[in-house]
Amino acid sequence: MKNVKEFILDYLQREYTIPDDIDILSLNYIESGYIDSLAMIQFIATLEDEFNITFTDDDLVNPDIKVVGKLIKLVESKLNK
Amino acid sequence: MSKLADLFYKNSLETPRKTSIWCDKKSLTYVEMADLVSKYSNLLITSGIKYGDHIAIPMNNSIESVALFFSAAELGICLVPLNPTLPLEAIKSAMHFGDMKHLIARKSFFNELDKNGGLEIPGVSICLDGDYPGTVPFSMIDGMSSVRPKIENITGNESLILTMTSGSTGNPKPIDISQKNKYDRSMAHIRVYGITKDDRILAATPLYHTLAERLVILPLILGATAILLPRFTPALWLKCVEEQKPTFTIAVSVQLAQILEHMKHTESPDITSFRSIVSSSALLEEKVKLELIEKLRCEFHEMYGTSETSTITNICFQKTPYKQKSVGLPFDEAKIRILRDDNNTDFDTDCAPYEIGEIACMSSLICKGYYKHDAMMAALTIDGYFRTGDLGYLDEDGYLYFTGRKKEIIITGAVNVYPNDIDTVVGRMPEIEECAAFSYPDNRLGEVVALAIVPKAEFEINLRTVKTYCARNLADFQQPHKIFIIDQLPKNAMGKLQRMSILSHIKKMGLDT
Repeated sequence: MKNVKEFILDYLQREYTIPDDIDILSLNYIESGYIDSLAMIQFIATLEDEFNITFTDDDLVNPDIKVVGKLIKLVESKLNK
Repeated sequence: MSKLADLFYKNSLETPRKTSIWCDKKSLTYVEMADLVSKYSNLLITSGIKYGDHIAIPMNNSIESVALFFSAAELGICLVPLNPTLPLEAIKSAMHFGDMKHLIARKSFFNELDKNGGLEIPGVSICLDGDYPGTVPFSMIDGMSSVRPKIENITGNESLILTMTSGSTGNPKPIDISQKNKYDRSMAHIRVYGITKDDRILAATPLYHTLAERLVILPLILGATAILLPRFTPALWLKCVEEQKPTFTIAVSVQLAQILEHMKHTESPDITSFRSIVSSSALLEEKVKLELIEKLRCEFHEMYGTSETSTITNICFQKTPYKQKSVGLPFDEAKIRILRDDNNTDFDTDCAPYEIGEIACMSSLICKGYYKHDAMMAALTIDGYFRTGDLGYLDEDGYLYFTGRKKEIIITGAVNVYPNDIDTVVGRMPEIEECAAFSYPDNRLGEVVALAIVPKAEFEINLRTVKTYCARNLADFQQPHKIFIIDQLPKNAMGKLQRMSILSHIKKMGLDT
């Protein structure tokens, strides 16, 4: 299994490379258009499959899930449970 | 006919230092862009790609993608731009039906293919970002000659782009567009909207749609400047307009409504560089139009058309204030008939003014046809008029009014979704007896995809399971926003699904809360 950060960054850069001068961890990937809001559910399902985790309904409505660094921490915390 | 590459290279000789294109903080002059197009053409030739070959490309909005359009036109190659979010099954289906021989993609795409059992590419694979086993790295372009290759025998009638109309399953109808089509369409839009070399033309929709293709090809053959937004969000659009100062764009109406909404809730920059904006795909509410005009202070047009025919009609809001609900008069290239549906068999009688019927159009801008589906195109054409599947009427002055759709298609955020594709995929879930996707009205996107499900008697169905299944097996634009579980789908006496009645059926049952 890939490391969480590597997997998420690869997924976000499927169409466009994120420029080096951007602070990736604080990037809101929905607002910056790297994932379309319509594609969010696919992204979440892919993460659930890859890491065998489940996001709760509360996770999904929390705006933190849209920020790269906070999403990485959330997935890692689920893996450590 | 003038060929696209010839026109572009001519501009690069006449105005070499002028900016030809901007995208994502990067811009190229005409001479730099000409070098890139020549190098791309030489890379394709060196890789063994030949006249008449088909190349699939999950296409992002980038300068390299635009250069590829011109290289393909130069070499007589056909491109099949794909939506990169399509599931693998849809990619395989598109590659099969589009007779694709070669593939140009990003590393993650090749990786995804290999993770899911791979895909046989009969020709060459080019990896756009780095090295990937079995592929030619795009970086080889740096070693290519920037001398324009000498290619003869290109007529301009070769297929340049196949646009896939169907999403994931079944039998897609690729719309076959030649460079002559692209040239004629560009010239018609240049005339109707008075576009000149001084214009800076913004393309803010994905390049795998015909609209953005037109908005990048047109400026480069005219000698104007193309501004290509890499990804659309209202904030990115506003920032791009503030910095790049475009003067003309054709946007989809949903984008314009989102931009206006964003401007109401945030401190927005002064964006008054546009001289003209065209809204496409669906009519905007008059209130939205007026607010947009106040903010943008420019001429405001609306257009109507289809992927097959290109634009059919246009109307200018300021010049024709007394026809607010109309989509306008036909382009000089197009003629319209409104066909009466006589017992579902005979379409050859014309409706009277104000009588609603099917909009049919004869136009010199119409595509070559559906690739390998000549019979299907012929079946949709009556006396030279293409049946659009849309409903509308004409008034006594010949202005067209759009009233709805005859065909079962969902248009969400200007993207066409074919409900059968969704039915087929979701219908494979073991818990489901039958299901049907249908259009559901939505303030933001115009329509969204909804799904009605009849579960098998022995199963209890969980909505989250259905959503997750859809997320894994359907493209982003196909995702159902609403799911209803019902006892049976509405059908006629012959047992045929009445898709247009599903919403009223659900409302009658009190399920739409």
